[in-house]
Amino acid sequence: MSQSGATKESVIEIRNLSKVYRDFWGRPKVKALNALSLDVRRGEVFGLLGPNGSGKTTTLKLLLGLLFPTEGEIKILGKSAADVEKNEKIGYLPEESYLYRFLNAYETLDFYGRLFDMPASVRKERSEKLLDLVKLAPQARRRQLKEYSKGMTRRIGVAQALINDPDLVMLDEPTSGLDPLGNRDMKDLILDLKKQGKTVLMCSHLLADVQDVCDRIAILYGGELKVMGRVDELLKAQDETQILSSKLSPAAIEEVQAVLKKHGANVLKVDQPTANLEDLFLKTVQESRERPGHRTVKDGTAS
Amino acid sequence: MTFDPRPMDLLPALDYWLRTVGGIALIVLLTSLMSVGVSHRGAAIKLFGGESVGCLKDLISLSPRRVWAVAKLTFMEAYRRKALAVFVIFALLFMFAGWFMGGETGEITPDHVTVYVSFVLRTISWLTLPLVLVLSSFGIPEDIRLRSIHTVVTKPARRLEIVLGRVLGFSLVGTLVLGVMSVVGWLWIVRQIPSELLVCRVPVYGSLEFRDRSGNPAAAGVNTGDIWEFRSYIEGATKARAIWTFSNISERSLDSEGNLHLENEFLAFRSYKGDMKRSLLYDYQLINKKTGQSYTLPARPVNENRSAKDVVPRKLVDDAQKKEYDLIKDFVTDGKLTVEVSCIDREQYLGMARPDLFIRMPDLGFESGYFKAVLGIEILMVLVVLLAVTGSTFLKGPIAALLTAVILILGGKDCHEFMDQLVLGRTSATEGFRGGGFFESVYRIVTHMNPTTELPQNPAFTIMKYTDGFLTDFLWLDKQVIPRLEFFNMAEYVSKGFDVPFDSSLLPSLMILLGYFIPCVLLGYFALRIRELESK
Repeated sequence: MSQSGATKESVIEIRNLSKVYRDFWGRPKVKALNALSLDVRRGEVFGLLGPNGSGKTTTLKLLLGLLFPTEGEIKILGKSAADVEKNEKIGYLPEESYLYRFLNAYETLDFYGRLFDMPASVRKERSEKLLDLVKLAPQARRRQLKEYSKGMTRRIGVAQALINDPDLVMLDEPTSGLDPLGNRDMKDLILDLKKQGKTVLMCSHLLADVQDVCDRIAILYGGELKVMGRVDELLKAQDETQILSSKLSPAAIEEVQAVLKKHGANVLKVDQPTANLEDLFLKTVQESRERPGHRTVKDGTAS
Repeated sequence: MTFDPRPMDLLPALDYWLRTVGGIALIVLLTSLMSVGVSHRGAAIKLFGGESVGCLKDLISLSPRRVWAVAKLTFMEAYRRKALAVFVIFALLFMFAGWFMGGETGEITPDHVTVYVSFVLRTISWLTLPLVLVLSSFGIPEDIRLRSIHTVVTKPARRLEIVLGRVLGFSLVGTLVLGVMSVVGWLWIVRQIPSELLVCRVPVYGSLEFRDRSGNPAAAGVNTGDIWEFRSYIEGATKARAIWTFSNISERSLDSEGNLHLENEFLAFRSYKGDMKRSLLYDYQLINKKTGQSYTLPARPVNENRSAKDVVPRKLVDDAQKKEYDLIKDFVTDGKLTVEVSCIDREQYLGMARPDLFIRMPDLGFESGYFKAVLGIEILMVLVVLLAVTGSTFLKGPIAALLTAVILILGGKDCHEFMDQLVLGRTSATEGFRGGGFFESVYRIVTHMNPTTELPQNPAFTIMKYTDGFLTDFLWLDKQVIPRLEFFNMAEYVSKGFDVPFDSSLLPSLMILLGYFIPCVLLGYFALRIRELESK
């Protein structure tokens, strides 16, 4: 097992996968995917990246058997994509949470639990556990899904994807439509799944999210694989060095720069590190919960 | 309208079904094998084999829990989308129906019973069937359009389970609607109609043969000029006879006092006016074909336009010959009883068809016949669901609804008879239509050519005739595929005061449903399996 928790065993094997969408007369209309080959290893979080129309969702749907490949081969958990038995160990969160809007949260999970042939007691227990996990407010659980906000729908969507405690979780744009808190929860959940040894394959075009949770990524463009590898390796700047220290006085900074110059280094930038906006937002919300009424305005006034 | 219930011949029907379904399955199998062969060449056999194994695995691993999950989902969907609002229309109809249906005097006659019972059962059918037709046609296409089906097929749910679950779910919705409406309808009938008029007669029909005026066997009686050939006539005071043979007759056919009840609805045709105050007379003669014994019952008057009830006692006394007969011992052999009917009035005629004379067994309660007729609507409703769900697996909702509606229209008795005539028109010289098939008819209309005029002999007309022949063959195929819905109409029995017969109505309906169930479910399964479930 590697540092990231992934093993060498491939959970998904894609070889020369192509998909051509055809028109009514069977004439080729769009080549959505062109000779894609990749492996997803057991225990890793793998991200499929790309702009809209790059073939991410098509790949996911081909893996799930919702679409049929024009060419190429797919092995998923050792089985063909068309084999329904593979679904026993797969959880899938679609791009939009295409759930039945006339059901409430309990009924939704009960329905999907039945599809896994689960006994009633197991369905009930798992439903409660998952609704707690995705932090769906207890008062919302008996309301029909058509009354839910997008974030709430996303949460119940995640819960249905995990109802069978899957080995492989496929998430299509998991953070889309979520507020920063929901976004953080989702990313924590993905990392938690990874800790449990599960394999996660996610599609996204929100790069920051992918960077935060993925071990490996593949970037698709125009239906073709352009880049694939470990996130940390792909992002590493090979010809730059970063030094991080506690706060220095201006004199100390000048002294450090002089030493660097003496060794031939070209100092590109010296400033204070900034937190990212997500961290600031989460901190503010946390403080607001702890100190209701407190307000911070960065033009020098505070109340 | 002819009212002639005939028992279904189960074995020939089964044989015919096996040959039809088997033939269609073979054609589908060969066509798909050829199509895979063309598209995948060398890998075709492996691919086809793999798919076949996958299909078999799907069939074997069918889970009742998953089927029930989809069925429950379907039911809740209909319920929460307010499909049951159909009850409001039903309630409105029944609140005001009494205003329009009662007679001017307010007196209820047996004719009113027919109208009331028909109204209730037709209303129930016409509200339930369109409701389930629309719901079932749109269920799966909406699921695909909204992509909710993605969250189902990415679970271990087999396509077969989705089809079965949908059929079961929509059938449950229809059953609930039908159940509530039928109970309300029944309450309405029993409140509107005096109980003595609500009868449920249990008839035992026999087979009918005729003798002509010289006593020789004849295919039918005399036609008195009526274009409606359902009934034919026997001439009075001649050797003309209508001979009924009833089967399975035993002591159980008698009532508690040992009487046999015969009931008839003969029609009188007068070739001269005669004494209009007196009805024509007929008599029954019981015959034992083995021993040659016979017994003539006293002459009885024809009860015009009403059924006449005759009681035959078990103990029959022949005053002339001073002999006594036992109805069962002396006239029933091998469970068969032969009754000859003759008309007594000279040069007058008595009209009859097979169901015009029957042995009336002890009556059942009205509710027995009524709820059997409701069961008929239920079976038809399930068939509608089945056809609509199957259509919706490969068509969009509105088209699936249209297809089902067309099948229901073509399945009606008149359409089927018309198709029979068209198909026979090519093969039978006597039954043939004049004017030829579609293209020939168009040609004759355009050129104003008389249908009896022979067409010119040249290659163009030969091609036209072959094309017409091909179209007729296609119609023959359609005729086999479209269900005969006349069996499902059980309201007619109840409204006429009869019990719904099992062997000539309930059994054929159930068999038709079963006959369509297996191929429809398989077709739905394959249609879902081979299509990409992506909304386009």
